Amino acid sequence: MRRAMVASILTAALAATAGACGADTQQKNANGAKEIEVLYKVEPSWPHLEKMLKQAKTQYEAAHKGVTIKLTAVQGNNEVYYTKLALLNRSAESAPDVYLHDTFQVNADVAAGKLAPLDDYLKSWPDWATQYPDSVKQAAKGPDGKIYGVPISTDTRGLWYSKDILTKAGIPVPWQPKTWADVLTAARAIKQKVPGVVPFSMYSTKPHGEAATMQGFEMLLYGTPGGTLYDDSQKKWVSSGKAFTDSLAFINTIYREDLGPKKADAFNPKLGEKIGLDWFPNGKLGIDLDGAWMSGSWKPTSTKPWPQWAEKMGWTPMPTQNGQAPGAVSMSGGWVMAMSSYAKDKKDAWDFIATATNKDNTLVYSIGTGDLAPRKDVAADPKYTADNPSVKFWSDLASVTHYRPAYEVYPKVSAEVQKVMEAMTTGSKTPEAAAKEYADALPGVVGGPDKVIPGS
Amino acid sequence: MTVTSVTPPRLAGSPDKGEPRRRARRTLRWLLPLGPALIMFVIFMVGPILWSVYIAFTNETLTGAASVNSQFVGVANFVKMFSDEDFRNSLLLTFVFVIGSAVIGQNTLGLIIALLQRGRGRAVRSVVNGIVIAAWVVPEVVAAACWYSFLAEEGTLNEALAALGLSQDWLYSAPMIAIILANVWRGTAFSMLVYSAALSDVPGELLEAAAVDGASTWRRLVHITLPLIRRSILSNLMLITLQTLASFGLIYALTGGGPGTDSQTTPLYMYEQAFRYFEIGYGSAMALVMLVIGAAFSLVYLRLIKVDT
Repeated sequence: MRRAMVASILTAALAATAGACGADTQQKNANGAKEIEVLYKVEPSWPHLEKMLKQAKTQYEAAHKGVTIKLTAVQGNNEVYYTKLALLNRSAESAPDVYLHDTFQVNADVAAGKLAPLDDYLKSWPDWATQYPDSVKQAAKGPDGKIYGVPISTDTRGLWYSKDILTKAGIPVPWQPKTWADVLTAARAIKQKVPGVVPFSMYSTKPHGEAATMQGFEMLLYGTPGGTLYDDSQKKWVSSGKAFTDSLAFINTIYREDLGPKKADAFNPKLGEKIGLDWFPNGKLGIDLDGAWMSGSWKPTSTKPWPQWAEKMGWTPMPTQNGQAPGAVSMSGGWVMAMSSYAKDKKDAWDFIATATNKDNTLVYSIGTGDLAPRKDVAADPKYTADNPSVKFWSDLASVTHYRPAYEVYPKVSAEVQKVMEAMTTGSKTPEAAAKEYADALPGVVGGPDKVIPGS
Repeated sequence: MTVTSVTPPRLAGSPDKGEPRRRARRTLRWLLPLGPALIMFVIFMVGPILWSVYIAFTNETLTGAASVNSQFVGVANFVKMFSDEDFRNSLLLTFVFVIGSAVIGQNTLGLIIALLQRGRGRAVRSVVNGIVIAAWVVPEVVAAACWYSFLAEEGTLNEALAALGLSQDWLYSAPMIAIILANVWRGTAFSMLVYSAALSDVPGELLEAAAVDGASTWRRLVHITLPLIRRSILSNLMLITLQTLASFGLIYALTGGGPGTDSQTTPLYMYEQAFRYFEIGYGSAMALVMLVIGAAFSLVYLRLIKVDT
């Protein structure tokens, strides 16, 4: 009797676990319907991509009977998204079919064989030839020359500033800094004359990950004479030299003179959200080194619109260190929609990418985010420029922009940069000591001292 | 060990079927009900553990060429680890965290609460137990959120201290103290429950007799109560040490290991290396070192328990 009971309980338990494991696959195979899983990220202040994908899902499902689009959102910032995606991609079973991908991670995933090349599909997609400028097409080009993603956005970086605060500090607007020293002078003036305001903000800590490296450090380094992380002609990584140390020294000055955000904010993963939704609209920040997309926080499509932003905010290029030619600096990256090499129904997955990146959907995304439009027809659409007077400025920065050396090891190099930037933020090292730390660590992450040359 | 004692004694007079067969039946009797659990255990626990031991000796990454073509690198990960300043820093912080929050904090506070509750009325006991256990029952992330809202810049503590002009960013000026306090607050219930149970086994007559002989409260505690519950103290220490050594969620949600690396204990550093920078091989090597440290702690405690009996 007792034995029979135990046996039946065990059977029931086993059946329940087995059922739980099998449920997913069973559902998928029911009546032969196909399902394409799409992975993307969403944040409270960044609902734009979700909006675009939902719209694309409706369009797609109406046109493709029998195929369902399963939208899987990752809640959190970019860093969280990278981790989640990398883990899901470990196995063919869990990998999403189509996903949002940051261009700087594309090469590592190409090397790992996670991404499917899109060239065959792009050939028969007229939009690719007619609507995407050549520079944008390169965004997700692998080392093998194949294209691994369709861009949904591109971007440039520069300085946003509050006109009211600069005026109060006695700086004439429109503000046009010509050198780093001009930027520091303005920040010092704000500190002195407008108490209670953060004079200057930039991302400089590990919680901000790639945003710290790109919006922060590289915006400085690529504006120094000869400053770069990678030497294209010699195909080697560049160790820390004067350019590198000077860039660190700028960050050091910001924090040692209390011109930057408080430590608690500098380390807050939600600093970007704070700047966009609170600090600028409420007049608590003077200058911000950030991206073209900042206006996305203030537009009517935002979670907290700020209709007066166009009059209250100013924008200007980040100057080069000493004002040397070309006078300004910018970095560009962007996001693409990519297809997994594990996707079972690749044609259907491609059709979804083509739908998601068509003119209508790209327009919805570009208007919402404030990112620069990758498509010519979107850029020319009056709705795109209508409520964003800054868009021409940010698009024009393309003439001085730089791209990251997004090779396979780049994310590791970026991590080393974040480490030394953080030392500037906390003040735990001098710029010279931190530069030396980077020089010591670099050969280890790029694969040996023969892949490194001394910095200028 | 307990499994064999559960086996019912064979009925006297049952026919003898030969030793090997009987042994096989007896084995089957405990193996059969354990079987499904064992299979699950092997699939979900032993498999991953062996895999993580293996990749600790490779250059496996989550993405990039090394993720499809990882190579055996011997002890390179371990050599790197011990010359890694951040790793050494994380080990030191882990020890501070374990000693501060578990061995001293939870353990002592749990004992004190249990002692104070002895002989109190039912109502007092239920209220105190309820409050202490509530902190233990809430999920780790909720506990972290509570402490965050208490210690944050615009938090309760700063509001209260504002009048005195003492407000500051506690999570940034004193991150280790913040996570130790939060962990003590959350984990004390466990020690308290262990000690309440242990104290109920201390015979009342013994304490009364000592009191009649004129022993002070302090002497009764040191010479009678503590020696009698010594084994519980050691088992409790072992359990909370191991728990705290692996603590991740609370610290991650509260300070994220920051500012900088000021509260980055080894589990957090491990996470950062494995899942932020995708160096899963290196992360696993650290996990292995943590495993050895945990095992060493347990051995010491177990040894002490044995010596005692």
